[in-house]
Amino acid sequence: MIEITVWCTGVIQDKEGRDVCLVLTEAAFNEGKFTQAFDNYVDLPDRINVQVRKYARISDTVIENVFEYENHKPNIIGVTEATIMKGINVCYGIQPGSVLVINTTKDPEELLKYVPAKQKKNLKAVATIDALGIAPEQLIDYSGSEGAEDASAIGGGLGAAMAGAIAAVSGLVKKESVLAAAANRTAAKRGYDEVKIKQL
Amino acid sequence: MKTRFKKYTVEIPEEMAIPFAGIVESPKPNGEQPMMLTGGWRIYRPVIDSEKCVMCKSCVLACPDATVLLVDGGNKIGFNLDYCKGCGLCTWVCPVNAIDRVPELDFEDGVPFQDALFLLPHVEALYAD
Amino acid sequence: MANEDVKVGRQAEEDKGALGDSRPGTIKFLTGLGAAAHALRMADIDVASSYPIRPYTGVMMMLSMMAARGELDLEFVHGEGEHGQLGIAHGASSAGARAMTGSSGVGVVYAMEVYSPISGGRCPVQMVIADRTLDPPGDFGSEHTDALSTRDQGWMLGWAHTPQEVFDNTLMYYRIGEDPRVYLPQMNCQDGYFISHIPQRVVVPTQEEVNSFLPPLEFPDALDPLNPLGHGPQIFPGQGHVLEATRVNAMMGTFPVIDEVVNDFNKRFGTSYDPFVEQYKCSDAEYVIFISGGHAFTGKFAVDHMREKGMKIGLVRTRWVRPWPTDYLADILSKFKAIGVVETNNSFGAARQCGILTLEVATTLYQCDNKPVLTAFMAGLGGEVIRLDEFYYMGDVLKDAAAKGSTERTAYWIGFHNV
Repeated sequence: MIEITVWCTGVIQDKEGRDVCLVLTEAAFNEGKFTQAFDNYVDLPDRINVQVRKYARISDTVIENVFEYENHKPNIIGVTEATIMKGINVCYGIQPGSVLVINTTKDPEELLKYVPAKQKKNLKAVATIDALGIAPEQLIDYSGSEGAEDASAIGGGLGAAMAGAIAAVSGLVKKESVLAAAANRTAAKRGYDEVKIKQL
Repeated sequence: MKTRFKKYTVEIPEEMAIPFAGIVESPKPNGEQPMMLTGGWRIYRPVIDSEKCVMCKSCVLACPDATVLLVDGGNKIGFNLDYCKGCGLCTWVCPVNAIDRVPELDFEDGVPFQDALFLLPHVEALYAD
Repeated sequence: MANEDVKVGRQAEEDKGALGDSRPGTIKFLTGLGAAAHALRMADIDVASSYPIRPYTGVMMMLSMMAARGELDLEFVHGEGEHGQLGIAHGASSAGARAMTGSSGVGVVYAMEVYSPISGGRCPVQMVIADRTLDPPGDFGSEHTDALSTRDQGWMLGWAHTPQEVFDNTLMYYRIGEDPRVYLPQMNCQDGYFISHIPQRVVVPTQEEVNSFLPPLEFPDALDPLNPLGHGPQIFPGQGHVLEATRVNAMMGTFPVIDEVVNDFNKRFGTSYDPFVEQYKCSDAEYVIFISGGHAFTGKFAVDHMREKGMKIGLVRTRWVRPWPTDYLADILSKFKAIGVVETNNSFGAARQCGILTLEVATTLYQCDNKPVLTAFMAGLGGEVIRLDEFYYMGDVLKDAAAKGSTERTAYWIGFHNV
């Protein structure tokens, strides 16, 4: 099972962080995988800019631990706001061969300094993508976090670019699948194509 | 009879203990609450230009988290960066535009680095290799 | 999860075993709240009264969105608190409207005064409850104590264990509660977060199918300006016990109706719900986990794995807490050697320091000749998850209990005694 944890900022990027997980799981589901996308349970999500996690699981077999509310051993880490990395070890618990994808204009090397050595040795690749540059609009839609259906389209902005980038770096889902799953196809495509990858 | 009663109690391991009635300590006099470090929320750091500052202290009053401090014997404005959330209210209220907002990643220091949020001992065990 | 529907296909074909049956319909990825909202839309409710509290809020967000988009002709009334919220639903139902409301945690208990007038007035209101731990400490997590606190108020009360079951229960509960032989309000409960917030696959039937299953509400003596009536009047002490007896009869009279409605639902929608009690791998089981609510989902996988190791374990899940299916459970449970009741609730200082369900199970078994060893597993308290390995621990305790004929403790606290 592949576990994805996406770190985003509270309220401002709540929708976008969730969309990363939703687009990737939708793409994987359409490829025949068992999937789960779920919101945080322990963070304090309705404080502006608080660090919030969004989760996804993609598996070839039935997912049994559906109610375990954190990904304790993630394989893919997404960070929708690079500054989060300065205060939190976003890679805590990652498994060998993991990938880290960050939304920033900087190069991957510049942000590696925020990953402690213990986690760095488990990283296979670190990548950056200017997702905010690709899709500058960040929609505040809280309905999905409250357990309702999203009032706005899934993958309409930054989240689509991030999902595209994660797909490119990890090879988790095919390019066509992730493009088809995102409402903003162009952003997903640009995310997939423009991601800067540093293999470790 | 004592052993009879004991059967009905729940032995709580020491490392899992929580304070009586879940009561938390009141914030320390300087407004700090180590369980709730909020410096990591900050994307833009407030940076004050002491030349421009007229010491009106509007920013001290405006800060919702009491992180704008009077330093240097009360003659200068400083910030408690462990808790400043970077909301920008101090910049907003400053009458002389002395407080700039600079991307946090431009600085090397200033944010307490945590392994994870709210990591209870038994949850931490689940993360272990 | 996805707004676009995925037609039945591969996934539904594979969907067997612990996940339940496959069935015709449109697949959506929905949380428990989303499932409830879609079912309420298809039930064509007339009035919804809301007041926000996590985690149930999402159902009201969706209903208000549906009303705003014109998908549902709905009177959406915002209460000034849960007490007022229930009052609005009471009034609407008295006037013959199909009314719904909902709440969580402290909101559920804040409305405590209004439950008995609604059930005593025989108003078939439906309340969607997504469980939340009572304060302190303002914990968002699921624990059934909130809804179980209202178990003596004359409402029908039951838990779903998947978003799909939330959807189906919503329709079944209305049909049962609005049956002329019943006329009782229903609490349609789901575990907060675990069911209410985690999207899972839900098969949504067509509107025509729902319409044919759930006819419009016919409420006798509905409030009508042209035919004035007095609801909820003062009565004499000499009538009090008679009124109480009619309420008991209404509740105990639900059994044949539940049986009929659930079987009709199964026939129409291709499901296989047991009307009262689900038995998972119980036919040759010697010891069972007894459970109500969402953690049965994980529990079934745990039972599968324990059976692979040769343990004779099963899982019994009651779909109702009120009315408590006493005789059904007595028949089912008395044949086992050991029973462990998973309590996702707490009753401080209760007999044997167990939770509410163990008290009911013990009373049920008291009439039986064979009395299995009974113990409680206090798990999922404060909204903590019950992991697979914790179910394995319960299985080991039960296996031991079945062999020895006793347990060391009357209640095992998961998270303490298993570490």
